[in-house]
Amino acid sequence: MGAYIRIEDLHKTFKNKKEKIEVLRGIDLEINKGEIYGIVGFSGAGKSTLVRCINRLEEPDSGKVWIGDTEITALNKKQLTERRRKIGMIFQQFNLFDSMTVYQNIAYPLTLVKTPKKEIEEKVSKLLELVGLSDKKDAYPGSLSGGQKQRVGIARALANDPDVLLSDEATSALDPVSTLAILDLLEQINDELGVTIIMITHELEAAKRICGKVAVLENGRMIESGTTQDIFLDPKSSTGKIFLEVYKEFRHKSTFAGGEGI
Amino acid sequence: MSFLKYPFWDVVKHAFSKEVWDTLWPAVWDTLYMVVLSAVITLVLGVLLGIGLSVISKDGVRPIPVLNETASTIVNCLRSLPQMIMIIVTLPLARMLLGQSYGVNACIIALAASCIPMYARLVQGAIVEIPKGKIEAAKAMGSSSAAIVFRIMLPEAIPSIIRGFTVALIGIISMTALAGSFGAGGIGDIAVRFGFNRFYHDMLIASVLVLIVMVEIAQIFGDLFSNLILRKRHLI
Repeated sequence: MGAYIRIEDLHKTFKNKKEKIEVLRGIDLEINKGEIYGIVGFSGAGKSTLVRCINRLEEPDSGKVWIGDTEITALNKKQLTERRRKIGMIFQQFNLFDSMTVYQNIAYPLTLVKTPKKEIEEKVSKLLELVGLSDKKDAYPGSLSGGQKQRVGIARALANDPDVLLSDEATSALDPVSTLAILDLLEQINDELGVTIIMITHELEAAKRICGKVAVLENGRMIESGTTQDIFLDPKSSTGKIFLEVYKEFRHKSTFAGGEGI
Repeated sequence: MSFLKYPFWDVVKHAFSKEVWDTLWPAVWDTLYMVVLSAVITLVLGVLLGIGLSVISKDGVRPIPVLNETASTIVNCLRSLPQMIMIIVTLPLARMLLGQSYGVNACIIALAASCIPMYARLVQGAIVEIPKGKIEAAKAMGSSSAAIVFRIMLPEAIPSIIRGFTVALIGIISMTALAGSFGAGGIGDIAVRFGFNRFYHDMLIASVLVLIVMVEIAQIFGDLFSNLILRKRHLI
């Protein structure tokens, strides 16, 4: 089976008056259907930009992005708007709409495609059940905890039955317990619904826990990729090694302090 | 009654007499009429203009650079005129449109010309302050530009838009008082004709009190509405 998501020679440079910053310097990536693919790296490596190029929240300067048979980078504005409805996205800052209740937040993507009211009700209650927030239906996001907000974010992202879920540091603003719960939820979604998940994170533990494959990004280049096991057992690149060292040390310290590690 | 002839407290007491208020009440109604009408016009057109400005701005949902520059320049020009100058400038316009350059209705043109651009900028500010991530989330879900503007931006910014309207409303009240001295009538007219020209200081005190009460009411209700929404959303 060929790769479901293909990224070919992706370049992106941010320009301001004074300088040009090359964020992506030719990224090639292949992700199979139904995978959970982790993209790790230090801050400023270009992880976010890469994933935002997939649904074109950021326009790449050159290169191609394919999802299935659709070349995302060749779509016009109207086609892109339509295709985006089948690409879910969750964010570090959740980005829920404060003016809407939990129910309305999850229903919003469905109303964009003029779903009948009854169908919306069924779908939303099913999603609420999936993320375990049925009792918070009429609450406003302002009253929820970080973990609960991210659950709503996930339910909202899944409302239109996407084939791809982009996760932009979805657990980075959460405490360790919520992080684990959200990761398990993502794994469950991947398992039950077969959604392909692309997950950016700087937390190695998160990638290690649920990703089947991992790519390491540094300075806009992909310096390593492979199965999670290979990368974690035998990192070839210096970033991979440093990353792992830092991670081990941190784990050691927190164990030393009486914790269980992260 | 003037401070020049009567003791201070007598003048203050007389400010609450029937004699003073018989003259003042019609003026209060004139002022309220001007304020309410201008406020409605400012609210509707200000919100529309504010949304328009933020939509076509450089970082907006649908950037149109040429139109944005033009509209911004016009808004800035209107905003750079002090209220008094604006009243004088629009007098000929009022004569052209309404046939007379004095009276309650004539001043509404000046009020609108001054307050719409001011309020539009406040609305624009409220919309710009919405965290960018929320707009991006809406885009990522495949929202049309219209859906982003009317279903995300406006509802998210409503508390700030209401706060801005309180500021604009108080501006309108102060400007009606000013317009009074240019033939618009109302409380400003009373304050100038009686309080300033004829030393009726009791009238002056009563006019000031009415203005304070009006501004106070505007502020209290503005805060109340905006806080109600924020509290409902658990944001305060």
